[in-house]
Amino acid sequence: MSGIVVISAAVEGIVDEAVIRRLFSYMNLELGSVYGKNGKPQLHRSIKGYNNAARFSPWLVLVDLDQDFDCAPLLREEWLPEPGSYMCFRVAVREVEAWLLADYERIASFLRLSRTKVPTDPETLSDPKNTIVNLARQSRRRDIREDMVPRPGSGRAIGPAYSSRLIEFVTSYWRPHVARRHSDSLNRTISCLENLMRRWKARGNCQ
Amino acid sequence: MTKNKKKKIVAKFVKISLENWKNFAQVEIPLQRRVFLVGPNASGKSNFLDTFRFLRDLSSPGGGFQEAVNKRGGVSAIRCLAARRNPDIAISVVIGAGKDRPLWEYQLRFHQDSQRRPLVRKEKVVCNGKTILERPDKYDQQDAERLTQTYLEQVNVNRPFRELVEVFQSVQYLHIVPQLVREPDRSIGRTSGPFGGDFLEQIAKTPEKTRNARLRKIQEALCVAVPQLGEIKLWRDERGTPHLHGKYQHWRPKGAWQTEKEFSDGTLRLLGLLWVILAGTGPLLLEEPELSLHPEIVRFLPQIFARIQRRSKRQIIVSTHSPDLLRDEGIGLDEVLLLEPTSEGTDVKTASSFNEIPALLEGGVSLADAIIPKTRPEKLEQLTLFGDF
Repeated sequence: MSGIVVISAAVEGIVDEAVIRRLFSYMNLELGSVYGKNGKPQLHRSIKGYNNAARFSPWLVLVDLDQDFDCAPLLREEWLPEPGSYMCFRVAVREVEAWLLADYERIASFLRLSRTKVPTDPETLSDPKNTIVNLARQSRRRDIREDMVPRPGSGRAIGPAYSSRLIEFVTSYWRPHVARRHSDSLNRTISCLENLMRRWKARGNCQ
Repeated sequence: MTKNKKKKIVAKFVKISLENWKNFAQVEIPLQRRVFLVGPNASGKSNFLDTFRFLRDLSSPGGGFQEAVNKRGGVSAIRCLAARRNPDIAISVVIGAGKDRPLWEYQLRFHQDSQRRPLVRKEKVVCNGKTILERPDKYDQQDAERLTQTYLEQVNVNRPFRELVEVFQSVQYLHIVPQLVREPDRSIGRTSGPFGGDFLEQIAKTPEKTRNARLRKIQEALCVAVPQLGEIKLWRDERGTPHLHGKYQHWRPKGAWQTEKEFSDGTLRLLGLLWVILAGTGPLLLEEPELSLHPEIVRFLPQIFARIQRRSKRQIIVSTHSPDLLRDEGIGLDEVLLLEPTSEGTDVKTASSFNEIPALLEGGVSLADAIIPKTRPEKLEQLTLFGDF
């Protein structure tokens, strides 16, 4: 079938991959291979390659701002001052978990806690991942606490099945059309992908 | 009629101490519910797992002390090469099943007599700090022949610590060799072997309802990893030999059925792995579960283990060389045991005992990248000279 545009992507980890898969299905876009998934340093090392590839085909690269810079433009400047023609390079403020918190009704019901406990301004949080772990700590469900909260002595920031729980949430409950209203960086990512599609189609090169 | 259903006790090894056991001259290791063993080749990962299999062999019907030692080549084959003064081999384990269950301790120290027969030097069982068995006792002194057996293997004397015996018996080990699943004749005489020779028979022996429920769950998981595989079912041929049938979807509307003989190595290993984690509640030993699997599947194994454990509470001890497996951010530093060979035998440390590891993780380095360099053999670069012979 002609007219289908496949977008390649590169992300930091498996939760981010689930997020963009959900986002693409919401936007009715076709996702190609997903690269990276081995942490931020690896993504940084490979960014030039992804950008080269984005001269010929559409790409999305999604990275967390974390505490590395004060704001997303500074990270963009440092990582990718000259993005390729079909590159959509996006920064989640401050982590992709903020996008999930932005659908606060659903995250509250998924974590089995009162909606009032979920912060309504996710982009102002300094460590959204830690916010999710702390919310899970207050969950009424023991299985959620055991999966998502790290054991004392584990030396880790997240519990043993944190990622698979979040992937479950993203795949089955998260609503990008609600979350985009409360997260500017998510909203910009959606607009950027729409722009990318327009640019690519205008090139008259749809295969 | 009242239902008298015995509640399943799910116990785990809390601590293990070894003296002169194979690679280990002297180690004492705390164990979590999930354990990942990492280390260079020949550092003793399999030999470490073998201690738990040894305890199972001691207590299993048809097993026993003599059999368990002899099947490992005798006392001198088990004894650590680095052993000097002390010729005894000793294993000591602590087992717990939660706050409301007793804490058990079992110690076995053994050596060999002048005819190379294994002899018990000491056997001790402690329950909640109270010693309930200590050998040699006065009967052993009267009849030294008794020291050729442990009390674990004797149903008439092990009643006070039957719970402990049952935990040892419930240890499961899996290291599926796909060729043996396909051609079980190769492993004839090795029933309940860990290499998959009787894997299909084990599936067939499971009550139908349980079997179908497990196969259904496995099918759901497998269809993610092997999307073209639609359905799995068990079937017996005219000789009564069990086979697995998998329905592969392709352009024909009804797809095609294949037996285990045509399954790929990866499909068989994943199937075996998923089956064994669902079957049983005893401590499970897995040898390099990453073999033949796609790295993206391997990444999800720690999460699968964690979610299974939350339900079943069973202990899972895994040996691995896989950075993909260790990349999981939910793996606790106290769950990773690093085996380091030294001239005095292999040393075992938890990842949490290295100061630099938390710092590396804090800076965004993955656990795999922090720990794998520590398992690299020395002088590895000399391997590059191999071609210049």
